[in-house]
Amino acid sequence: MNHALILMGALIAAGLALGGGAIGAAIGDGLAGNATIAGTARQPEAQGRLQVTMFLIIGLVEGMYFINLALGFFFIYVIAK
Amino acid sequence: MIVAADVPPGTHPTIQVCGNAFVCTFNYDTLISSAIAIVLTLGIGLGVAYRLGHGKPGRLQMVLELLLGYIRNLTREMVSDDAGFITPIAATIFIFVLLANWLDFLPLTKPVEPAAADINLTLAMAIAVIVIVQWYSIHVLGFRGYLRRFTKPFELPLIGRIFFTPLNIIEEIAKPLSLALRLFGNIFGGLVMVYLLTLGFTAFAGSSVIQTALSPIWVILLVAWKLFDVFLIGTIQAFIFMLLTIIYFGMAREGLEEHHGAATHSNELRRETT
Repeated sequence: MNHALILMGALIAAGLALGGGAIGAAIGDGLAGNATIAGTARQPEAQGRLQVTMFLIIGLVEGMYFINLALGFFFIYVIAK
Repeated sequence: MIVAADVPPGTHPTIQVCGNAFVCTFNYDTLISSAIAIVLTLGIGLGVAYRLGHGKPGRLQMVLELLLGYIRNLTREMVSDDAGFITPIAATIFIFVLLANWLDFLPLTKPVEPAAADINLTLAMAIAVIVIVQWYSIHVLGFRGYLRRFTKPFELPLIGRIFFTPLNIIEEIAKPLSLALRLFGNIFGGLVMVYLLTLGFTAFAGSSVIQTALSPIWVILLVAWKLFDVFLIGTIQAFIFMLLTIIYFGMAREGLEEHHGAATHSNELRRETT
């Protein structure tokens, strides 16, 4: 019983962490894409450089989310064992 | 093509080489897979260096030269002109992490896995980087300047700078942690996704007939995910690890520029007065 409760809590917590992290990552990606589109529209010849920077920033933003994902899965696995 | 994970990712087979379990237990899968990446890195580097004088340059050599030139420019921009020793460090880190990530696309058998999916490897690399950064900071700024760097917003009054000292210490500790966790989380997250896809396959299709009928879809899903995960995320993360290494080296010089700027400023003043 106790173990089942703990497992339930862990699953709910992991779901919350994944959902919140996804919101943050999505907003961050959107901001980066927004700025890239604005920059490209203003200065089309800078597109190559802007895209490199955009992918870099997307990598940084999604890094946070993937830390979330890995740790969430890790906690579930450790607790459910 | 891609081996279905029967054990959840994050479980590493261990080997114990001596009595003390804490010191002598190794995850031998990480040892093997990082050894493969190390051998590949060394092989590419030495092979290109050996063929330097023979005939016209190959395609690999041109790619490596482009990469090295790019990293050298980055180092010059972000750190300084005389910090040439950072270029080989950063380039080695980039090529090693890139190859270790790209190994994931091949159909791997059990003891070999993407090496960065073990936090021990990424944390060891991050700690090595940060130790060199601290050495470089002391080397450039001197010990007093190194301690002064921890009171960072230099334009504040003394009380504010003392207030900021604990924050700066926490930032210095958080640097290697975030560096290691970012790479580990990305690669490990990719493995978790592959595991969930294979799990969904076996759970969704109960009988073996439906499994065989549906297996092309899952294989396509797996390959699509692997393509995205390995060649986009893996490359970007290797690049970010390298870039943050260079940025940390640049941050290790904080306080020097201001000093330098003040000196040149006073020089200009002197020139103006004379």
